[in-house]
Amino acid sequence: MYSWIWRHLPGSRAVKLLEALLLVAAVLTLLMLVVFPWVEPRLPFNEVTAG
Amino acid sequence: MSHVLSPVRGSPPPRRRGDRVRTTVRGLGELLLTAGLVVLLFVFYEAYVTDWTSAQKQRQATAKLDDTWRNGRGLVDRPVKGAGMAKMYVPAFGPDFMFTVLEGTDQDVLAVGPGHYPGTASPGQLGNFGVAGHRVGKGSPFNSLDLLSSCDAIVIETADHWYVYRVLPLQGESDGWAAGKGTQPQCRGVAPLPGRYANVVGKTIVLPNQVDVIAPVPGQPGRAPVNRLITLTTCNPQFSARERLIVHGVLVTSYRKADGQRPVELTAGA
Repeated sequence: MYSWIWRHLPGSRAVKLLEALLLVAAVLTLLMLVVFPWVEPRLPFNEVTAG
Repeated sequence: MSHVLSPVRGSPPPRRRGDRVRTTVRGLGELLLTAGLVVLLFVFYEAYVTDWTSAQKQRQATAKLDDTWRNGRGLVDRPVKGAGMAKMYVPAFGPDFMFTVLEGTDQDVLAVGPGHYPGTASPGQLGNFGVAGHRVGKGSPFNSLDLLSSCDAIVIETADHWYVYRVLPLQGESDGWAAGKGTQPQCRGVAPLPGRYANVVGKTIVLPNQVDVIAPVPGQPGRAPVNRLITLTTCNPQFSARERLIVHGVLVTSYRKADGQRPVELTAGA
C-alpha cells in the first residue's frame, strides 16, 4: 500500500518526500478535526454522569 | 540518484504467483499497522487534543460568567442550560485549579467544563448540589477525584457567596473519627453524618445506573434532606464507563462575597 503510493507520487525523491509529508498531514487533520470528533460521542468511555 | 531510484518504466518483469501473495500479505500487514496507529492517535486525541479545545471553551465560559456577575446578574434562581453558574476550586488539586461549572450534563456542556445536574440543589442550598465532570480529556476537571481525602475542601463561588464544602469521612474512617482524624484542623465541621445519612461516605464507586447518588439524601431518593451536600461524579476507572466514581462533601462554611476577598480556605491552601 505505502510502496504503491510512493511509486505513484510524481517528481524527484525530494518532491516525493514533500508530497508524502503533505499526505500524512492531510490524513492527520482529517482524523483530528472530522473523524475523531464524529466517532467520539458514539463510544462509551466518556460517560461521567450517573443515571 | 533520483533517477536510479524511480521505478523502471517500460516493460515490467512478468509477475509470478509468489509476488502476488507477498504483495497481499504485505498490504494486509500495512493495513493492520495503520489501524493500530489510528487507535493510538485516537487516544492522543482524547487525552490531549480535546483538552486544548475545551480549555478554549472553558476560558470563554469563565469570561462570560465574570461578565454576568460584574453586571449584577447571575442572581436568578434558574440558570440557563449551558451557561456558567458557579466556579469550583479544589485547593488539594493545586492553587490554580478553577473550573467554571455550567448548567446541564449533556456531552456538549461537559465538553466546556463540569456540569450541574439540573434539578439538584443550587450551591449552598439544602439538599445535594450534583456536579458531573470528565476524568480524561475535555480539560479533565475530575482527573484526580480518586486522590481526594476526607476533609479536603471543595470551594464553590457564586454571584454573591463562597461556599466551602469538605469531603465526608471515607469508608472505614467513621469509627473513632472524633478522637482520630476529626481532631485535625481542616476537619472542623466534618463528621460522619447521622440518621438517614449514615450510609453516605466521602468516596464511593457505583454502577452507572445508580442515579440516587445525586438524590437530596444520597441513596434514598424521596427523603427530605436536612444537610447541605455536594456530590461530584465522574467515570471510573479512567478511560472506562464501567463504573462511576462519586465524591460526597458537606457544607461547613459560607461567606458573603466582599470585594476582592477570597476565603481563607483558598489563600491558605488548606
